[in-house]
Amino acid sequence: MKTLGLLLVGLLAISGSFGVDKNNFKSCDQSGFCKRLRAFKPEKSHYIVDFENVMIQDNLLFADVNAVDLESESKTVLFRYVLKISALVDSTFRVEMEEVNPLYPRFATMLALKDTPIADQLKQVSKKDGQLVVANSKGLKVVITADPLKIEFLDKEGEVAVVLNEQSQMLVEPLVQRAKKEEGGDTVEVEEEGQWGENFKSHHDSKPRGNEAISLDVSFPDADQVYGIPEHTDGLALSTTTSGEPYRLYNLDVFEYELDSRMAIYGSIPVLYAHGSKRTVGVFWHNSAETWVDVVNYADGTVVSSLVNLVTGGHKRRVTSRFMSESGLLDTFVMLGDTPADVFRQYTRLTGAAPLPPKFSLAYHQCRWNYVDEADVRGVDENFDLHDIPADVLWLDIEYTDRKKYFTWDAQKFPHPSEMVANLTAKGRKLVVIIDPHIKREAGYFVHEDATDRGYYVKDKDGKDYEGWCWPGSSSYLDFLNPAVSKYYSERFRFENFPGTSKDVHIWNDMNEPSVFNGPEITMPKDCRHYREHEDGAEGLHTFWEHRHIHNEYGLFQIRATHQGMLDRSDGKYRPFILTRSAFSGTQRYAAVWTGDNAAEWGFLAASVPMCLSLALAGLSFCGSDVGGFFKYPEPELMTRWYQAGAYQPFFRAHSHIETKRREPWLYEPATTALLRDANRRRYALLDFWYTLFYEHARDGLPVMRPLWQEYPKEQPTYTIDDTYLLGNQLLVRPVVSAGVSSVQVYLPGAESGTVWYDVDSYQPHKANGYFSQEVNIAKIPVYQRGGTIVPRKERVRRSSALMAHDPYTLVVALDANNTAQGTIYIDDGETYEYKKNKFIYAKITYTSEEIAYSFINEKASFPTKSWVERIVIAGIKTPPKAARLQQAGASVALQMTLHKGNDVLVVRKPGAAMAQPWTISFTY
Amino acid sequence: MVYSTWIKQLQSFAFILSSFVIFVQSDVPRPRGVSLSKASLYSPTKDFTCFDGTVTIPFSYVNDDYCDCFDGSDEPGTSACLNGVFHCTNAGHRPQNIPSSRVNDGVCDCCDGTDEYTEPNACSNTCEELGKEARAEAQRLAELHKAGSHLKVELIEKGNQKRSEMAEQLSQLEKDKAEAEKIKAEKEALKNELEAKENEALKVYREAEEQERQKKAEQERVDVLKESTEHFERYDSNNDGMLTVDEIKVVNVFDKNKDGEVDEEEIQYFFGENESVDKDIFMATTWPLLKPLLMMEQGMFKPAQDDEEVDPEAEAEDPSRDDTEDLGTDDENLDVDLPQEDTHDQELEQEHTRTYDDETQKLVDEATEARRQLTDAERTVREIESNIRTIKDNLEKDYGLHQEFATLDGQCFEYDDKEYVYKLCLFQKVTQKSKNGGGEVGLGNWGEWAGDDNKYSVMKYTNGVGCWNGPNRMTTVNVHCGLETKLLSVTEPYRCEYKIDLSTPAACDESNSGQQHDSHDEL
Repeated sequence: MKTLGLLLVGLLAISGSFGVDKNNFKSCDQSGFCKRLRAFKPEKSHYIVDFENVMIQDNLLFADVNAVDLESESKTVLFRYVLKISALVDSTFRVEMEEVNPLYPRFATMLALKDTPIADQLKQVSKKDGQLVVANSKGLKVVITADPLKIEFLDKEGEVAVVLNEQSQMLVEPLVQRAKKEEGGDTVEVEEEGQWGENFKSHHDSKPRGNEAISLDVSFPDADQVYGIPEHTDGLALSTTTSGEPYRLYNLDVFEYELDSRMAIYGSIPVLYAHGSKRTVGVFWHNSAETWVDVVNYADGTVVSSLVNLVTGGHKRRVTSRFMSESGLLDTFVMLGDTPADVFRQYTRLTGAAPLPPKFSLAYHQCRWNYVDEADVRGVDENFDLHDIPADVLWLDIEYTDRKKYFTWDAQKFPHPSEMVANLTAKGRKLVVIIDPHIKREAGYFVHEDATDRGYYVKDKDGKDYEGWCWPGSSSYLDFLNPAVSKYYSERFRFENFPGTSKDVHIWNDMNEPSVFNGPEITMPKDCRHYREHEDGAEGLHTFWEHRHIHNEYGLFQIRATHQGMLDRSDGKYRPFILTRSAFSGTQRYAAVWTGDNAAEWGFLAASVPMCLSLALAGLSFCGSDVGGFFKYPEPELMTRWYQAGAYQPFFRAHSHIETKRREPWLYEPATTALLRDANRRRYALLDFWYTLFYEHARDGLPVMRPLWQEYPKEQPTYTIDDTYLLGNQLLVRPVVSAGVSSVQVYLPGAESGTVWYDVDSYQPHKANGYFSQEVNIAKIPVYQRGGTIVPRKERVRRSSALMAHDPYTLVVALDANNTAQGTIYIDDGETYEYKKNKFIYAKITYTSEEIAYSFINEKASFPTKSWVERIVIAGIKTPPKAARLQQAGASVALQMTLHKGNDVLVVRKPGAAMAQPWTISFTY
Repeated sequence: MVYSTWIKQLQSFAFILSSFVIFVQSDVPRPRGVSLSKASLYSPTKDFTCFDGTVTIPFSYVNDDYCDCFDGSDEPGTSACLNGVFHCTNAGHRPQNIPSSRVNDGVCDCCDGTDEYTEPNACSNTCEELGKEARAEAQRLAELHKAGSHLKVELIEKGNQKRSEMAEQLSQLEKDKAEAEKIKAEKEALKNELEAKENEALKVYREAEEQERQKKAEQERVDVLKESTEHFERYDSNNDGMLTVDEIKVVNVFDKNKDGEVDEEEIQYFFGENESVDKDIFMATTWPLLKPLLMMEQGMFKPAQDDEEVDPEAEAEDPSRDDTEDLGTDDENLDVDLPQEDTHDQELEQEHTRTYDDETQKLVDEATEARRQLTDAERTVREIESNIRTIKDNLEKDYGLHQEFATLDGQCFEYDDKEYVYKLCLFQKVTQKSKNGGGEVGLGNWGEWAGDDNKYSVMKYTNGVGCWNGPNRMTTVNVHCGLETKLLSVTEPYRCEYKIDLSTPAACDESNSGQQHDSHDEL
C-alpha cells in the first residue's frame, strides 16, 4: 500500500526528485556477514569428508565432515560437522550440514515447506579413489568427493548438472563462546570487530550469539542463464554481480524503490533456477535469514576471459552462484529437472502451489488509499455501473479504521459497514479491507491490552515489549511464532469479533516485512526476540529466537494466521482471499502478492512483467502491480497501457496514493474511459480461462504466467526475453509498455515445430518465426493464441463475475498445422470448498476435423452449471465442413455455421450444448 | 466484414432459455425489451435488418439469445449482445432503458421486474410504489419551487436594483475620477516646480554627502583587506603564503554543512578548481563566500532563505495541519506594500534629521508639502479606479438570467462539521478553518457557473491553496432550490476537491415540475 511517505516528505521536497534513499539500506559492505563472507575465497575448501564414517539408510546418507586447519601439517581438526544427503521424490535431493554438538541449536526455517518432503531411496553405487557415488531410485547419481568436500549431481545422461562447493566457498561458521581474557586481575570480554555487535546508522545490533553465518557456492555447468531469487527489479535473467552488489534477500519496505536494481525489496524467495539447452535445474536455499546471492555467468562479457578459460576449459556456458546467509542451518534442496516445467513443479512440490482462489479474486479490483467514507464507496460502486465497466472488488486502505486500530471501523465515516457490504454484494461484488501486523499502543484498544497482558508482542533485546513507529504512531508487533498468538489473531477474524465483515469481506495484509518506520532499514531490529518452544529450565539464548533468524518469514506467519482465521470464520466453507506485500517461500499457499509501491511511470509498468514472471517461477503466480502506479498520476496513455497490461496479469488491481489525483476509469475523458472499459471487458471475457489456469496451477504447480523458455526450452533467443510471456501454454502476451509507439517487436516462438499464432482480435494467423513487427494503435493489446489450443470465453460481460456464472461460453478453437486443437475448462461454484467433494467439472475439449468433443477428465466429479455453448469459433480452418450435428444426452441436432472466408474462420452458431454434460459435435464434408 | 451465410434448419434445444417471444404489454405487439417507439422496426412478417443495416436475418433470430447484429439490435430482450439495450415499460412509474448485460443477471434493475424473466418470482413489481413515491417527491419539489419562486421575485427585484445602483455609482465614479485626475495634474505641476527649487538648494549638501560616502567606502575596503588578511594568515598554518586544501580541512568554518568534515564539495565551493589559493585569490573569491559563514558562526547573520525552505516541509509532515500551508500565502499578501512604505519613511526621516539653513529648510518644507499633496491626489485617483474596477467586475459577473443571484454576492455562509468550519462567500471564495486552531485555508476562488443542463445549478470555485504533491484545492457548489439561503453539507469526496450543497430561493423555478431527475437513460 504505502511506505513511510509522509515522514520523508521533507527530504523529498528538498531534493525534488523521485527515488529511493539508498542510505537507509545496507550495501554488502555495511552488512557484517556479507562483507566477511564475500571476502572469503579460499583456494581450497577446508572441509574433508571422513569416508570411514558414512551411513546410508533408506533415503539418507550421513557422513562426518571435518573442518581442518590447512596451514598445519597434521591437518588439525578444528570443528566437526555432520553432512546429511536425502533423496526425495521427483528428482530432488536435500543437503544439510550441521556442527556436531553446536553451542546452541541453529534456527530451522519453519513455514517454507508445505509438508515433510517425501522420501525416495538412496543406495551406494561405488566408493573408491576418494569418491563415493550414490543414486536415487531413478538412478540419478550424486558423486561425493572427500578431500576437499565436493558434491556433484548428475543428470540422467550421467553429465554433471549441479556442483556444490566447487568454488570452496562452503562455510558454516562455528558457534563460539565470547572469548575472555585476564586484564589487570579482571576478566574482560574480548572485542572482535563486529562479532558481538554491529552498527548501522544510529542503530546497534547486539548479536548475542556472535557470528553464525553460512555460505555455499553452487555451480551449473552448461547453463546459459540463471533465474529466480525474487523479489528484485532487474531483469528476469540474473546478471553477473562481480563488479557490484550481490542480489539481496531481506524483506524491506523500500520507499520509492528503484528499477534495474539488486536491492532487497518486499519479498525474498531463495530459489534459483539454471537453464540451458541441455537441461534446467534448481536449488532452493532453505533459509529465512538475511541472504545475499552472488552470480557469475561465464558467457557474460564482464567476466574476465582468462577466468572463463581456467574454469571451463574454454567452454563458455556455465553459471556459478553463491548463497550467503547471516544465520540458520545450511540446508539446500537440489532439483534436477530436467525441463523447466519439471523443476518448477519440483519447487512447488516442496513449498506448495497456490490453492484454487475464489473466482472473484481473478477479476478486476478497485483500490485507493483511501475511499473516504460509505458515500464514497457507494459512489465508486455506482459509477462502475453508470459507465458500464465491470468490477468485482472495492478495497479499503488504512483510513477506514478507528485511527489505525485494526479490527475497528471509523464510526463517523463508516457507521454502517454491514449495509455498505450488502450494497456491494447485491451486485455480486466484494470488499477487501486492510489489516496490518503492527498494533497501536493505545490504552483501551482491545488487541493492545490483550497482547500486553498475555505477552503476545515481539520483545526487544532486553525482553520488554518492542515498540516501533508505524501508521498508528507508537506500535508493537504481534509475535505470530507463538501458536497462542496466531490462534488469537485468527480469532479476530470471526464475524462476531470483527463486526461489519462477512464471507464477502476479504483481507489485505500489508506492511508485514515488517515495516517499522524508525527501525534499522525501516524494519525490526535483528536482536528482537521471538517466541521459541523450549524445555523447562532452559534459559538465556535457549529461550527465544532472534528476529534475524526468522525475518523473511515473519509476514508468512501473519498471513498463515489470517488464512486460518478466514477459514474458521466460515467453518471452512469459503475460500479466503488475502493479499500480502512481504513474501517468502510458501507464501503462495495463502496469499496473492503485488509488486508494492510503484509509481506512475512507464518504467514501472514495464518492470511489472519481469517482476511477476520472476515471482511466478518462485511459486507465486498470483501477482500483479498497482495498475496506474501508486505514486504520481498516470496520464491517459500510460493509464490505458497499464489497464491493458493489467488485464493480462494474474492480479488485476488499480491503486493510488492518498495525495494523488483521483483516477477511477470514468474520471478520464470518454475516449480513455472507453479504452479502460475495453481492457476490463477483455479480462472478464477470459475469466473462465484464468480460473482454469489457476485450477491447473493448484494441481501441477506450474506458473500461470510463464516465460517463453518454459514452453520452448531449446529456443535460445527466448532465454533473455522478459517483456513477453505466456498464459498457460495457450496465450502469448506482449503488453505495450512504452509511450507513443506505433509498433512493437513480438517474438513468436516455436518456428521449429511449425507453430502458428493467431491474433486474438482478428484471428489472423502468424507463423512462428522469431520477431515480427506488430502495429499497435492505442486500442491494441498484442495477444496471440497458439494454434492447437482451445480457449473458453464468456462474451456477455456483466457488472461482476458472480453475475456471469450461468452465462454461455464461446469456445475459440485455434488450429495447428495438423488441424487439431485441445483445451480444458474448469467450472465450479467459484467460492466454496465443495470442489473438494467432487462438485466441479474439469473437462477437456478436443477438436479434430471429424468432431469436437467435450468430455470430463474427472468422471467422478460433476457440477450442475446452467452454462451452455453459444458459439464456437474455429480459426485457421482450411476445408470447412458442410454440416455439423450436436449429440448430447441422446439427442441430435443440426447446427448452423458461418464461414468468414477472409481469414479462414468458421463460426458454429449457437450449438446450445449444456456444459453440465459431455457432448460431441460431428462434422461432415 | 462479409459473411456468407447459409442456414440449416434450426431446432431449438430443450433447455435453451428463450427463442422468439412476443411480449404483449400494451396494445402493440412487440418483441421483449423493445420500446413502443421502436416497435414498428420489428415486423414478424419479414426478415429483420439490423439497425446499422449490415446484416439481415430471419425474424426468428430476433431475441433468440444469439447476437447476430453488430449493433445488438436483434437481441433487445436478451443478454446476448454486449452493446444491446433492454427497455422496461415500468407501468406506473418511469420507463427505463438498461444495458442488455443486466438482463437475467439475478439483479432486479427494472421496477416491473421484466429484466429477470427467467426467474419469474425473483423480482416483485415495485413500480406502483416507486411511482407513487416519485410523484409525491415531484409534488413536494413543485411546491417548494413555487414557494421559493415568490422569494426569488424579491431577489430579482433587489438584484436589478443593485445593478442599476451600481451603474449609477459607476457613472458617478467616472465623473469623480475625471475631477480627481485634474487635481492630480495640478498637484504634480506644483510639486515639480517646488522640487526644482529644492534640488537647486540641496545641491551643495548632496556633494558633501557624496564625499563622505566615498570616504566611508575606502575605509570599508581597508577593513576588509585587514580582516581577510588576518584570516588568511591564520589558516595558512605553514605561513608559505599559499592556502592549501589540507590547511582548510582542519578549519571548522569551511565545513559548510556542519557534518563534521570538510568534504570535496565544500573544497570545490571555496577553492573552485584550485588546489590552493594565494592571498589575492583568497580575497577575491574565497573570502566573500567565507565571510557570511563566519558571521553566522558569530550569530551575526541568519540566512532567511533557509528558514523559508525548511518550514513548509516540516509542516507538510503532519497532514492534519494542512492549514499551515495557507499562513505563508496570507503573510505574503499582507507584506506586499510594507517594504516600500518602510523605505519611503526612512528616506523622509533622513532628510528631516538633517539640518539646513533656514531658507533651504523652507524650500524643503514647501516641496515636502507638495509631495504629500500629490500623494494624496494620486491615492484618491487609485481609490476611485479601484472602485470602478470592482463595480465593473461585478457588473460583468453572471448573476443568473434575471439577476436573481446578484444580492448574494459577498454574502457568507458557514457550515460546521466535526473538524472544520467551512465558509462560502458567494461569488468570492471558499475557506476552511480547523477547529483545532490555525489559519484559514482557501478552498477556491470564484470561477464560473458550470451546470450541465442548467448552467446555474453548479458553481465552481477554483485555484485554492495547493495540496502537497497534488492539485490546487477546488470546490464545487451544487445549488438547490430552498426557502432559505444556507449550506446543507460540505464534503471532500476527492482529496482537495470539496463539494458544497447550497440551498437558495434564487435557484427555484416555478416552471419546474419536479422532473429534472427524470431520465434514467444511461446509454
